[in-house]
Amino acid sequence: MNADASHSISQEGYTHRIRRHFMGDSFARNGLRVIIGLFVIAALAPFLANSHAIIRVADGRVTFPVFPSMEPIEWRFLLYVPLAGIVYFFRARFLRHLGVHLLFVLGIIAVIEISLAMTHPVNDPTNDRDRPASFKLMPLIPYSPVESTPDQFSPPTWKHPCGTDSTGRDIAARMLHGARTSLSIGFVAQSIALVVGVTLGGLAGYYRGWTDILVCRFIEIMDCFPPLLLILVAISLFASQNNMFYIMAVIGLTSWTSLARLVRGEFLRLSSQPFPQAAQALGASDFRVIVRHLLPNALGPILVSATFGVASAILIESSLSFLGFGMQAPTPSWGDILSDARRYIDFAWWLAFFPGLAILTTIMSYNFVGEGLRDAVDPRLKVK
Amino acid sequence: MTTYIFRRMLLMVPTLLGITLLTFLLLRISPINPALIKGAGTAEGGRAMTAEQREELIKFYDLDKPAPVAYVLWLGKVLRGNLSDSFVDNRPVAEKIGERMRLTISITGAALILSYLIAIPLGVVAAIKRGRVMDRSISFVVFLLYSIPSFTAALVLILLVAGGDYLNLLPMYGANSVDASVMGPFAWLWDRILHMILPVTCLTYASLASISRYTRVSMLEALGQDFVRTARAKGLPERVVILRHALRNALIPIITIFTLEIPVLISGAVIIESIFTLPGMGQLMFQSLDAGDYPVIMGLTLLIAIVTLVSYLLADILYAVVDPRITYE
Repeated sequence: MNADASHSISQEGYTHRIRRHFMGDSFARNGLRVIIGLFVIAALAPFLANSHAIIRVADGRVTFPVFPSMEPIEWRFLLYVPLAGIVYFFRARFLRHLGVHLLFVLGIIAVIEISLAMTHPVNDPTNDRDRPASFKLMPLIPYSPVESTPDQFSPPTWKHPCGTDSTGRDIAARMLHGARTSLSIGFVAQSIALVVGVTLGGLAGYYRGWTDILVCRFIEIMDCFPPLLLILVAISLFASQNNMFYIMAVIGLTSWTSLARLVRGEFLRLSSQPFPQAAQALGASDFRVIVRHLLPNALGPILVSATFGVASAILIESSLSFLGFGMQAPTPSWGDILSDARRYIDFAWWLAFFPGLAILTTIMSYNFVGEGLRDAVDPRLKVK
Repeated sequence: MTTYIFRRMLLMVPTLLGITLLTFLLLRISPINPALIKGAGTAEGGRAMTAEQREELIKFYDLDKPAPVAYVLWLGKVLRGNLSDSFVDNRPVAEKIGERMRLTISITGAALILSYLIAIPLGVVAAIKRGRVMDRSISFVVFLLYSIPSFTAALVLILLVAGGDYLNLLPMYGANSVDASVMGPFAWLWDRILHMILPVTCLTYASLASISRYTRVSMLEALGQDFVRTARAKGLPERVVILRHALRNALIPIITIFTLEIPVLISGAVIIESIFTLPGMGQLMFQSLDAGDYPVIMGLTLLIAIVTLVSYLLADILYAVVDPRITYE
């Protein structure tokens, strides 16, 4: 044994080891790449599918019609570009305290999402496809997700690569913009579930006694509801509002129980170990013990569970849309296209195929990432 | 142990009260209203009725009373063994649920048994071939299947093999053909089986992932234990080591997971039942929500909650039964 080898081993921290294991798993690595790719596509959706030109030169004036045509809701993904830049710039520091910083970044994303989810796109009848111009650069799919074209039920063609639906809306455009709906709902719903689950589970596991009994009964009550009942009743309460935030909140507030169970178990296990007791003996407050000592140690399993949770939130949203309770028109979502598919299934296969494929890809990627994280975090399953 | 079971049963009471009260209040404040009141005054669906008739119905169903009072009245009826009558067709709720239960249990039961029969061997093979091509392809396939939303699979299957433009092998919807009532018993059974193939397939494939992953992990743990090494050292054939020594121990956690899936047997699958128009429990719940049929919703909620709680208890008891190291004192 030489000194160098032992030195380099001791240098490798917990987060580094997890990262090495995670990136060594090809399923997990590619799953993460697909998710990042989907977020990039979602962020760029207005530039990929839009009835307005990106650059238009007419009468000697250069205009960018795509920007004024964007609704606030369409701007939000663009805010992630500077955020991603900041994370990349400070990546060394970010990785050193992965837990705290990850929660911080996720928190920022959740705030952006929630604050902008209150609006929804409106149908803008104008388009730049037929307007004469000396030069124009149209997006890849020159249709907006909400506009109806005269071609109804067009199968996939060069003009409409994924076909059109019953009112002639371009499916490719709806898919690209629907990616935003599905990704944000999965993300925000799970963030809400994370906050509720970690808080309640943490309190139960830390304080035990009566708090524990009350929280456990509450978890039990939530778990015993027939599937979808709570969600459908809650959605009917907000049905007139028709906005994404309520769907996110309802899914999040009904899917936190498994996280709460997990966090409670972890906290029960951790708080009987010496290190939180040492912190308490040094005079640390309960809040400090929970947030600085217990939470970072439970973060691995929490992240694993949350990753699977995002997948299931996306699935729940698309099931709801399929049953006709999810996002309402004109907001495009994958589940909404699928519910259309149900009516015309005997001939319009493209209405089921493309959104089904998109949902499958997204959910599978999240699940592979979750599975890879689980293997990386769980020391029991390591190859000896 | 008996004290433990008794204490757990006592703890079920506040949980059941909580669930039913919460459902009751949520229904009352939600815009889900009994159809007979929504339809009142309009000619729609022939539900037109006079104001007096309407008042009478509201009174009859306790809808004029404040929610807490109505809840206590409902609870009183339940304690006397009466789940009240449906708002929609005035039949007893217990009868309506009872006639749906057989179909739902046969579909979900078949799916549950099938998925265990397929998933456990997959998990065992994946554990034995850990990290090799076999293991990775099994985990890829089960995750792929798990990620296909059941409604997409159902739509694609209908399109491909049932009634679409491609193959027309299986019936598209319903639990039986239209002329089922005049069939002989064997023809009836065959007809039913043909109708069940697609729904059972759709319910089975998705649960393969979790069961086979559990089996794999639990099998890996068992294979790493000393008694497996001893068995190998004795010179037992590998087949005996795996099937007799490792698998038996690996199945212990699987049994308890099986218990936790019992509630699904009863509650049914809302989406699959609605796509294939199967008159099961999931469809009943969905229709009752749609029609604002409070008594049926409450009855279903109560039944599913009881089954869920009992199966949780059963899982905990089974844990202790199969593993003598666990005691509840």
